[in-house]
Amino acid sequence: MSEVKADQYFVPHQARWPIVGSVGLTTTVVGAAQLLNSETAMTPWMMYAGLLIMVIMMFGWFGEVIKESEEGLYNTDVDTSFRMGMIWFIFSEVMFFACFFGALFYARSLSVPWLGGEGTGLSTNTELWNGYEGVWPTNGPGELGGKFEILDPFHLPLINTMLLLTSSVTITIAHHAVRVNNRMQTIIWLAATVLLGAIFMYFQVAEYIEAYHLNLTLESGIYGSTFFLLTGFHGMHVTLGAIMIAIITIRVAKGHFKPENHFGFEAVAWYWHFVDVVWLGLFIFVYIL
Amino acid sequence: MKYLIIVAFLFILFSLGQALFYMVKGKGKSQNTVRFLTVRIIASVVLFIFILLAMKMGWVVPHGTKMVPG
Repeated sequence: MSEVKADQYFVPHQARWPIVGSVGLTTTVVGAAQLLNSETAMTPWMMYAGLLIMVIMMFGWFGEVIKESEEGLYNTDVDTSFRMGMIWFIFSEVMFFACFFGALFYARSLSVPWLGGEGTGLSTNTELWNGYEGVWPTNGPGELGGKFEILDPFHLPLINTMLLLTSSVTITIAHHAVRVNNRMQTIIWLAATVLLGAIFMYFQVAEYIEAYHLNLTLESGIYGSTFFLLTGFHGMHVTLGAIMIAIITIRVAKGHFKPENHFGFEAVAWYWHFVDVVWLGLFIFVYIL
Repeated sequence: MKYLIIVAFLFILFSLGQALFYMVKGKGKSQNTVRFLTVRIIASVVLFIFILLAMKMGWVVPHGTKMVPG
């Protein structure tokens, strides 16, 4: 945000973006629900239309916020609101990934061993799933999706981990540069971060293609569903983060941030670190341990 | 060896959390956010190199290299 000078808490008049956002979100969710529930060949256009409205809303709303910030309409109280908003946003993100990691740990450490006869699950194993060993990774005793192979963690996941870690190094260099007001350095390292994020996504798509060739699909029981949900939603966050950094890069080029006033930059940089840590967790718990 | 990796990962989470705390509390004036984020990335790189070493030395065997009976 730019200079904070006003004593009054800035309240915009005739804000039209909240209602546009509501319409967009409703259209997206209703479209997605129809797509999932319909047994006939339902086209996904309603969902796409909703997503388009959401994108228009985001560009419009965020653009207005940036403009108001640069006009110096925000005082320190508004600044506090932005920071509190960031905390709640991150809290929701943490809970979101905690759900999927929780599902992974529960299946892996508790329910799969029970089906295999561990602990009090002995009769479950002998009576219901006799012969099932309950060893992770598994598609369960029902053998959903058929025989599958696991991706080699030394290949694409390793490359992707190196790419994301490098991108966090580049954004940290940019962060140090913005604090000493070195605009050119900031732009170069931010652009490098976006590029590394894009390469990561390219390899992620390549990994999914390889997985399907190994018959590891979204249908492959508990391993397939946890694997694709965790890595898929993570990929979505990388894409979003890269778009956010690209916009921040343009803002830096326009001279928007100052060493003592760069919350927009800092929030995006932190978000990128968060996405990187989630990947590190995935690499450790999904691929390695 | 597994537990060492998990403890290191928890330390990385702690550094990330500290950076968030100072981002909200420091109001942009504090150097602590960038400092903890720097600690976070250094720790992550070290952990990554350690995992590579652990796999090479056979201290940790990744599960993703065997065929799954289906």
